[in-house]
Amino acid sequence: MRNENLTYEDVLRIVELVKSTRFSEFRLKVGEIEVHLRRTNGAAPQQEPAAPPVAVAIEPGTAAPARGSERQFPPDVVLVRSPMVGTFYRAAAPDAAPFVQVGQHVEPDTTVCIIEVMKLMNSIPADTRGVVSEFLVENGAYVEYAQALMVIRPDPEAG
Amino acid sequence: MKRAKRAVRGRFDFVDVTLRDAHQCLWQTRMSTAMMTPILGAIDRAGYAYINILGGAVFDVCVRYLHENPWERVKLLCSRLATPCDALTRGQSLYTFELFPDDIVALNSQVFARLGVKVLTVYDALNDNRNIESSVASGHDAGMKVNAMMTYTLSPVHTDAYYVERTRELVQLKADFISIKDPTGLLTPERGRTLFPAVVRAAGRVPLKLHSHCQSGLAPEVYEIAIESGFRFGYTASEPLANDASLPATEDIGARARRLGCRSSLDAKALQEVAGYFTCVAEREGKPLGKIARYDPALYQHQIPGGMISNLRYQLQTMQLEHRLPEILEEVPRVREDLGYPIVVSPFAQYIVTQATLNVVQGERYKTIPDEIRKYALGYYGRLAAQPSDEFLERAAIRPEDAVTERPGEHLEASVPRLRKKLGAGVSDEDLLLAAFYAPPLLEPLKKPAPAFAFRTTPLHELIRYLGSRSDIEYARIRFAGTEMTLSA
Repeated sequence: MRNENLTYEDVLRIVELVKSTRFSEFRLKVGEIEVHLRRTNGAAPQQEPAAPPVAVAIEPGTAAPARGSERQFPPDVVLVRSPMVGTFYRAAAPDAAPFVQVGQHVEPDTTVCIIEVMKLMNSIPADTRGVVSEFLVENGAYVEYAQALMVIRPDPEAG
Repeated sequence: MKRAKRAVRGRFDFVDVTLRDAHQCLWQTRMSTAMMTPILGAIDRAGYAYINILGGAVFDVCVRYLHENPWERVKLLCSRLATPCDALTRGQSLYTFELFPDDIVALNSQVFARLGVKVLTVYDALNDNRNIESSVASGHDAGMKVNAMMTYTLSPVHTDAYYVERTRELVQLKADFISIKDPTGLLTPERGRTLFPAVVRAAGRVPLKLHSHCQSGLAPEVYEIAIESGFRFGYTASEPLANDASLPATEDIGARARRLGCRSSLDAKALQEVAGYFTCVAEREGKPLGKIARYDPALYQHQIPGGMISNLRYQLQTMQLEHRLPEILEEVPRVREDLGYPIVVSPFAQYIVTQATLNVVQGERYKTIPDEIRKYALGYYGRLAAQPSDEFLERAAIRPEDAVTERPGEHLEASVPRLRKKLGAGVSDEDLLLAAFYAPPLLEPLKKPAPAFAFRTTPLHELIRYLGSRSDIEYARIRFAGTEMTLSA
């Protein structure tokens, strides 16, 4: 350490010394620099926790019911299931009308809801011709892989 | 093969990324304005040709996480720095991944120029240069120079000829500078030897800049090839914030350029002061220092930036699917090929990774296709580098006649008049733009007044700040050159 000017290199050397000692009292005198520190129990420095990743973060979320505990449905209905872990939306935008309502008739390619997976929107088709009879999940809910989202009562087979 | 070092005559100059991409890569974009202001004087003396102060992620993190008004930062940095400032946008998407209409893009250019930005740097993640036309034109109209970037990637279609073609388009657009941007550090010296001279030739009188990251550890060598090939500028960062996923160190590339016979205006003493300061800030804030990355051959296969893999692992953990990660990483290059080789940068990196995850988890390829990926494949965001595979097009039910062929900006209605009407005639251009990008609740915290910034510092001052930041120190007395100071908790 030079006497005339405290440099960043000097500071970093002092920082290293402070970090590496566990003593509660610390005195350093080099040339014109004198540092005297006292700390509580010589405890380890408290590091700020690293910030969470920025790009894509999934809400750890309110746990959805596991598939095993799923309620029983009559064999003649069709369940629309989630393709992935994600967030369930009934409409394309917060102020838009829902894609479908209970009692509405749907075609196999009718979009019935959106599942947001890793910030991308997945339009989910009914995959069945029939009438929506019940929603099993609230709008905005976090859903699990293969969780049942809604019930469709299929049309009687023609012919 | 041994390569004879060729003496290069002339200048090689530097563009600083310490205040932008460097902390985006290493500190999760969390460098606040208060961390920058004390050292601006030294950065100004360091001899950079330009200083890059803004990019998409910096703008977004300012608003969402730091609760700072990004325009205030831009204005402050431009007024404090005598070195010309450079601000980067994602072209028609500006700071986000949505597309904005031409009038918003033009207003953004006007605001930049008014706040003191001298160079508008712009790129499009698909390298569809129609997406930067409105930025280039409005940047020039506002009196700025425009630096157009093309993004480097590895694929059978991203050949030297492909980049020569893009370079010609940028010359045609009257870009003042052309940059090669290598966001994942995929460039190798071998590729540089063919690609760089070809691009330099195609650029004619337009000077070239290199912007390459260090994930593969090869970037400094790649910069040497660029210097030898006639590039005029390199983007670099102060040493503590260089390397790893960041860009190479100014100190390192400066030394290499000198050895190759180039002149620059770098000032070693000022650079040392900047590096010392940021090392102290890293200590105080608990931020990592950049280390030199090891060469990783797997990077050239999946091309996924390191930050994205750790993110994916975290997400799979929350779904209890972490054990499928190797399968997903294997599916990634196949999905990329099916999608026509999008560049593995945001937002397309996310498209590829999400589709690969869906394909693996559902046990059936393309059973579910996110709406954004369908729109991408239709050409809604711009031209694709190559035609998607038949399997994908069939599963997505996309027919050739569905393709969008017009410039993406064309299908967006002007929105400045609507926003002015909504926000009132007295609204500033800056606030109007923020309202175009963000919902009102996100903008609420920006209304708090900015803190008083310190515009100078000394090593002694930083030592005191460091000691003050440690909660375990209850008493500190520092004596130096006739000054004595006692801190006590």
